Amino acid sequence: MPDSTRDSWDLLPAYALDAVDDLERRAVERLLADDAEARRALDEYREVVAAFAVEHEPPAHLRATVMERISASAADGATPAADDGGTAGEAEVVELASRRRRWGVLAVAAAAVVAVAVPTTVAIQATVEQNRLQEQVDTVAEMMADPSATLLRSDVTGGGYATVLAAGDDFLFSAGDLPDVGDDSVYQLWLVGAEGGVTSAGLLEPQDGEVEQLVSDVSGVGLAVSVEPEGGSEQPTTDPIVVLAEG
Amino acid sequence: MACVDGDPAAFGPVYDALAPVAYGTSLGVLRDPDHAAEVTQEVMVEVWQTAERFDPSRASARTWVATLARRRAVDRVRAEQARRDRDQRDVDSAIGGSSYDVVAEDVERRLEGAAVRRCLDSLTATQREAVVDAYYGGRTYREVAERLGAALPTVKSRIRDGLGRLRDCLGVARA
Repeated sequence: MPDSTRDSWDLLPAYALDAVDDLERRAVERLLADDAEARRALDEYREVVAAFAVEHEPPAHLRATVMERISASAADGATPAADDGGTAGEAEVVELASRRRRWGVLAVAAAAVVAVAVPTTVAIQATVEQNRLQEQVDTVAEMMADPSATLLRSDVTGGGYATVLAAGDDFLFSAGDLPDVGDDSVYQLWLVGAEGGVTSAGLLEPQDGEVEQLVSDVSGVGLAVSVEPEGGSEQPTTDPIVVLAEG
Repeated sequence: MACVDGDPAAFGPVYDALAPVAYGTSLGVLRDPDHAAEVTQEVMVEVWQTAERFDPSRASARTWVATLARRRAVDRVRAEQARRDRDQRDVDSAIGGSSYDVVAEDVERRLEGAAVRRCLDSLTATQREAVVDAYYGGRTYREVAERLGAALPTVKSRIRDGLGRLRDCLGVARA
């Protein structure tokens, strides 16, 4: 590895702390552009630096200011599809769908932040959490253009948490902080039917304990997860570690 | 065509979930509530504008926002320091410079509730000093070295080894 590359690698921790000067910043960014390993190392350092942050409620008036600013910027031409005429119709749909999906990802990730940040043992805070989660639900529902969408959340037996965003016949399952189940076992996702029967919705492959899986166009009332032998099972052979179902 | 994803109302809950991370991060570095509020405003508008760039495979939403907030807060400290350097008469500025020196009790107070706190004990005293000074002082490692009267490569490795130990202690691994 050339000296300059090694120097930039050496600077990654300081870069994650924003403790480099402009020249060094540019050198590190050149390395990051070329090297996926370096990006992965940086992501780890950034997570460490973020662990210094202590959440703090901002002044109440700030919310309105921010909402005003983004409304203004949205009105300023956030609808690029509008003046294209009809020719690019299909591409627009794809673009909108993909933007919508990404928004959905952020909203679900944000919902997880709220859910984790508020201790559920304190009743009054649990109510606050529920209200805030309901707001999340409303939002994601709007984004997915389905007013009947619901967001369910639960802790997972054995560790971690799971959420299901249910919209019509689609379920977006996501989980975090799942412990490693070892090489001989897998997490298996199950679709729960209205009559209580279950069918496999695939194996989960968490990365760093996190996993997201979309189960679309199915008929059911929710999802469940169990730990199954390697390769999965036709029907669950162990008790579910989490069940997220409506009703 | 209805642009559902561009609906600003949809941003409300995202703001509610993530603004405390942005404000807490900014306040940790800037200590001044007004400056921290301004930075938070900029960060949350940036979140709205760049939500598409958020990549959950690389970072949690919390880490993403903390990273954006820290970058902006540190930029502000540096700009403030540069302005002070140009204008020596302005000695009682709210942020930057010597008013930024990090005292131990103060760090303890600021770390209250931070996930990293329990792990700081796994660092040597010199590693801890370098990391904490860079974090709360908003300094470059070069400035940290000058302030601590230590050699540049020494400080660079203290920061690297310090963050490495914290990474191991926190169990951060994206293998």
